[in-house]
Amino acid sequence: MQRLNRDAIVAIFLLAFCGVFFWASFDIRQPDYGVLLPSTWPRVVLGVLSFLSVIYLLQSLSVGAEAIEDDKYDAEHARGPGFRGWIEHWKNPLWCFFLFFLYLLSLPVLGMLIGGITFVYVLMGVLGGWDGNKPVLHAAYAIGLIGAMWSLFTFGLGVLLPPGMILGSF
Amino acid sequence: MILENVIAAANELANFKTISLMMVGVAGGLIAGAIPGFTIAMAVVLTLPFTFGMPAPQGLATMVSVLVGGLSGGLMAGILTGIPGTPSSVATTFDGFPMARKGEPGLALGIGVWSSFSGGIISAILLMSLAPQLARVGLEFNPWDYFMLVMFALTITASLSGKNMIKGLIAGAMGLLIRTVGEDEAVGMARFDFGIDSLLSGFDFIAVLIGLFAFSQLLNDVRDPKNARKALTERGAVQVRIEHGRAIRVLIKHWMVVVRSSLIGVFTGILPGAGGSIANILAYDQAKKASKHPEKFGTGIPEGIIAPESSNNAVEGGALMILMALGIPGDVTAAVMLGALLIHDIIPSPTFISEEPVLAYSIFIAFFGATFMMIGLQSFMLRVFVLVTKVRMYVLASIILGFCGIGVFALQNVTFDLWTLLWFGILGFVMRHYGFPLAPMILGVVLGNIAELNLARALAITTDLSPFVTRPWSLFFLIIAGFSALFPLFQSHRVKRKKWTLFYLPVACFAASVPLFMMGGVPRPVLATIVFGYGVYQLWRRAQNGWRFETAD
Repeated sequence: MQRLNRDAIVAIFLLAFCGVFFWASFDIRQPDYGVLLPSTWPRVVLGVLSFLSVIYLLQSLSVGAEAIEDDKYDAEHARGPGFRGWIEHWKNPLWCFFLFFLYLLSLPVLGMLIGGITFVYVLMGVLGGWDGNKPVLHAAYAIGLIGAMWSLFTFGLGVLLPPGMILGSF
Repeated sequence: MILENVIAAANELANFKTISLMMVGVAGGLIAGAIPGFTIAMAVVLTLPFTFGMPAPQGLATMVSVLVGGLSGGLMAGILTGIPGTPSSVATTFDGFPMARKGEPGLALGIGVWSSFSGGIISAILLMSLAPQLARVGLEFNPWDYFMLVMFALTITASLSGKNMIKGLIAGAMGLLIRTVGEDEAVGMARFDFGIDSLLSGFDFIAVLIGLFAFSQLLNDVRDPKNARKALTERGAVQVRIEHGRAIRVLIKHWMVVVRSSLIGVFTGILPGAGGSIANILAYDQAKKASKHPEKFGTGIPEGIIAPESSNNAVEGGALMILMALGIPGDVTAAVMLGALLIHDIIPSPTFISEEPVLAYSIFIAFFGATFMMIGLQSFMLRVFVLVTKVRMYVLASIILGFCGIGVFALQNVTFDLWTLLWFGILGFVMRHYGFPLAPMILGVVLGNIAELNLARALAITTDLSPFVTRPWSLFFLIIAGFSALFPLFQSHRVKRKKWTLFYLPVACFAASVPLFMMGGVPRPVLATIVFGYGVYQLWRRAQNGWRFETAD
């Protein structure tokens, strides 16, 4: 069986996505008033999206083997082979996602000031390295700039940013 | 009446705090625009959280200042390092960098700065004079017309924003779908909440915007570990003095290029989806075609700097014109401005200028004022730019990601918005990677509820669907949406010299003239006759040529 190219896989994913949302549109309650029902517009949009995804799928299948070779060539030249190569290639964005995710999870405990400084400091270390005087420099950047921003919002604009359990106890 | 509004708006802005904020905004925009990898839209979207606590005129004036600064900032990097700071200053590097390398960096910068200024002023004048007139036209629009206008905006954005139009249309439809999550605005029924309470109020528009645009862009900038650790520009920048006097004399000599390029910029800005990145190339190309010495373009001649810089600053005047007159954002930055207006509970529509004249005129005046501030601050910011170029990309990206978190939370004090930021950051990053343009998606998110509300209103008036094709404005937008959808196909087939492309322009003219004839009155049928006549002329030219492609084709 011929392998699918990258665009075809994205198109199939989009069709599956449309299917899930179309199915979820049956959970929308229908009132007995109004001409345009709450589910009508989303279904129209989903119909258009599905139609476009089918065209996209056909378009990508028509390119076929040529695109698969291009995909392979791009992948081999962009990164090393296998899962390890993939991780190595995308490690910086993956670190950003993961650290931001941890930052959000720790928000109730660390709060926005400590959490924000920690997030920025660790991210700078991960992306820029820990050698030489970088840890000190990164700490100065993180404390100075996130501290300034936090102060501006808290004292200047009067926004109540999450204090977290640590600062909240003071 | 206009004078009264201008005076009232000027009074609103003429205080120390607002002027200081505008200066900070222009300075910030100049630096953000000068940094390769950062876009003007990103600078404007990141300013948004700071403005929510300010009075509407002050907040909007600050954002307009960032916008104006950003439009001019790109030229510093482009001329001094050869790397365009923003996509709207790509063409500036064609002649700006060679002129700087020939030993005239001060003159090149001066020409760039004063061209930006001229483009900004011409566009501000047109914005002030034409937006109220356009709003009067907008008052003729009924729900059918508005619905079709949104469809046209999405179609043309999709067709102009990438190589593959299907991907652009998919992105636009995804944007519309994202906007349907949460309670619907007409009857308040929950949609696609999947049992999660936080989803009942839908995704916050600003968090989606920052996630899709800023968060994903930052991840893109640090994707390559080697580039992430490099300074922003490896070439560095030289210390130069801007030669204002000589630059003004050069500009006066080439005033025709200034005016033509500014008009190209304004027109491009009016078209939804066609921003500064298209305008600067278009204006450069037109200046080259109109020049007596086109062969000198690319060697460091003044016209090659004047054309792109006048046009890219003029673009925003056009985009703001459509936003303020019709409530439809012309590009991503205008979409952010729409977000800023919504934060202050102001919904732009054709009645916006007449109902909120002081606010509308304060935006006009801020556009003017910021353009003047840009001239004053450019020399000083050049020194700051030299310092900023030494910063490593990963440092900047980490700090801005931290700012994004604080800024998004501050808008509504809702933690769920931070999760929205993360998920849409990931989505934006993946979409960029697979070649899906983000501009149609953002416009889809912004315009989704406008489309649905107008469809609901239209169907509430009558369930008959024929007004979509019998009302002149609706038909007009439907026709130009259809032709703009065909435009990418036309472009690719024209290169292959397919016969049908010979008929594209004449048929488009004939089709567009039909609704114009239907509008009645005197000026529009006259315009329709001109458009129809142009179509006939094009057809005649092709017939004269034996239905073959001309060399220029």
